Amino acid sequence: MAAKNHRQWSADPQLKPSEWVDSRIYSDPEIFEEELAKIFKKTWIPVCHESELPNAYDFRTVSIAREPVIVCRGPDNEIRAFLNVCPHRGMIIERRPSGSFLEGQPSGNPKRMTCMFHAWQYDMRGNCVYISREKEGFQERLCKEDVGLRRLRCEVKFGGFVWVNLEDNPQTSLEDWGAAAFACLRKTLDAEPLEVFHYHKAIVNANYKLWHDTNCEFYHDFMHYHNRVTGFNDAYFARKNEAFDHGHIVVGTFEVNYEKYEGFDSRAALSFPHLPPNQWYMIDLFPGMNFNLRGSALRCDIVTPLGPDKVMIEFRGLGLKRDTAEERRTRINHHNSIWGPFGRNLHEDLIGVQGQGTTMATGSEPRHILHGRHENQTIHDENGMRHYYQEWGRWMNRLPSKPDLPYGEPVSVAAE
Amino acid sequence: MRGACEWGLLVDSSALVRDAIYRSTIALDRQQWTDWLEHCDDEFQYAIRAWSPEINKDVTYLALDRDGLATMVKLLPKHNTDHSPLTRHTSVYTVDVDEAAQSATAVSSVVVYQTMLDGINSHIDAGESRLFLVGKYIDTFKLEDNRAKFLSREVRIENRRLDKGSHWPI
Repeated sequence: MAAKNHRQWSADPQLKPSEWVDSRIYSDPEIFEEELAKIFKKTWIPVCHESELPNAYDFRTVSIAREPVIVCRGPDNEIRAFLNVCPHRGMIIERRPSGSFLEGQPSGNPKRMTCMFHAWQYDMRGNCVYISREKEGFQERLCKEDVGLRRLRCEVKFGGFVWVNLEDNPQTSLEDWGAAAFACLRKTLDAEPLEVFHYHKAIVNANYKLWHDTNCEFYHDFMHYHNRVTGFNDAYFARKNEAFDHGHIVVGTFEVNYEKYEGFDSRAALSFPHLPPNQWYMIDLFPGMNFNLRGSALRCDIVTPLGPDKVMIEFRGLGLKRDTAEERRTRINHHNSIWGPFGRNLHEDLIGVQGQGTTMATGSEPRHILHGRHENQTIHDENGMRHYYQEWGRWMNRLPSKPDLPYGEPVSVAAE
Repeated sequence: MRGACEWGLLVDSSALVRDAIYRSTIALDRQQWTDWLEHCDDEFQYAIRAWSPEINKDVTYLALDRDGLATMVKLLPKHNTDHSPLTRHTSVYTVDVDEAAQSATAVSSVVVYQTMLDGINSHIDAGESRLFLVGKYIDTFKLEDNRAKFLSREVRIENRRLDKGSHWPI
């Protein structure tokens, strides 16, 4: 059929309902608010890496679903997470992105989290240890012991990432939630301590799922000149796109021919423990985290949805903590040549998702977004996205292709 | 600092450095990459770096030598890219010349604006100039034959939020 009129354009695609979604799931404010409540406030989010707070009393501040979170390392070396909110008057307690509580602050003492507003102080376990003029103001009606911080589920796992869950009683333990997807790289990531060497962020006008879709499908490698020349061969097209419980997917590895991109060399000389050189694994976790290991450098994307058509993506690069200066320099260069903010691929990916965000802005006409490629679950099969949207449908109780309808298990997709 | 040139005139080495910085800014703005690299020594090293208070580390966003840069810009037409032009406003703050070593260092403020063309929705956005980067050029030079040639440039940016980023040297 040639170009279509509006009725034809709006008609359902001639694919199974599990092979497309309604673009309102990328733009509808009501659906977005529901996602924050039903998904992001109830699942495990890797908020940072343990190497970002290497010493006792170090902290990092982040946010999940609009809730400010503080992660700190106690004198017992344990990493804990709390809402970064003072129980007194709702002031954000720590405003810096990172730092150390070893030094006192203008309103408070060393080794304390201090709310600058009224000088209430908390220890690294979240206990309130000081209320200014406590007895004078509250007499016997309220005391320090009544007003601790809101503690959050927090674990360090899967390569030293710090995972936080706002839900007191998560449906699944972190281990059960992520172990199967991480199995392909667990030995590599847990062999020895990793260290973050790269951080930058992007805020783009697109729904967070569109970014995760980009990470879940490799069909868009046609957009990347680098990937076409270094990758398109029989081994590349045989890479498996494997689905795991909880909406996760893993794209299997193959050997990348970096030297085929002019100016690049083979990266065989530097890898990760237990990983043959020049390999490329990709782990995509529901609802929007990505772990991408290209031989010499690990990349991690974490999405923070800011609105139905706005997302912040934080990009980290990691190497081994024991890297020599030369090894670290090499990892950084390898990482940046493709994935840095001035690298070859990331810029293209972000233009792509921004372009989708432009056509799917809030209020735009709903349209059908196709996830219908079947290639025996290999790299250009879109089974990864179909698997993701099954999980999304279950969490939201909405049918991705008809989000006004409740979710029903699509038998044909479940059989993939 | 002044030195004799072939015409017997006194040449201000600081002025040579400033001239190289400003002419290279124009070449970069015009995307005349080859002209820009003409200002660079064969041993030229280029890097874009920032301090990240998020991870408490100095981060390198790009590091290439002259050949690497030449290859990179040569391959640009093969890549999809945001063609929104970048305009650099450069102010040279300090130039320190070592006449004995025939070298110099310079620190310049640089602010980079991006005038939207095709990056997002051109109907709405094209023609709008946005602040893209804030930072400094930290340059070293070789003074030779009455020219100041870049030995190194560190673009030290303040930004860690870089949104779509760029394929182009800054």
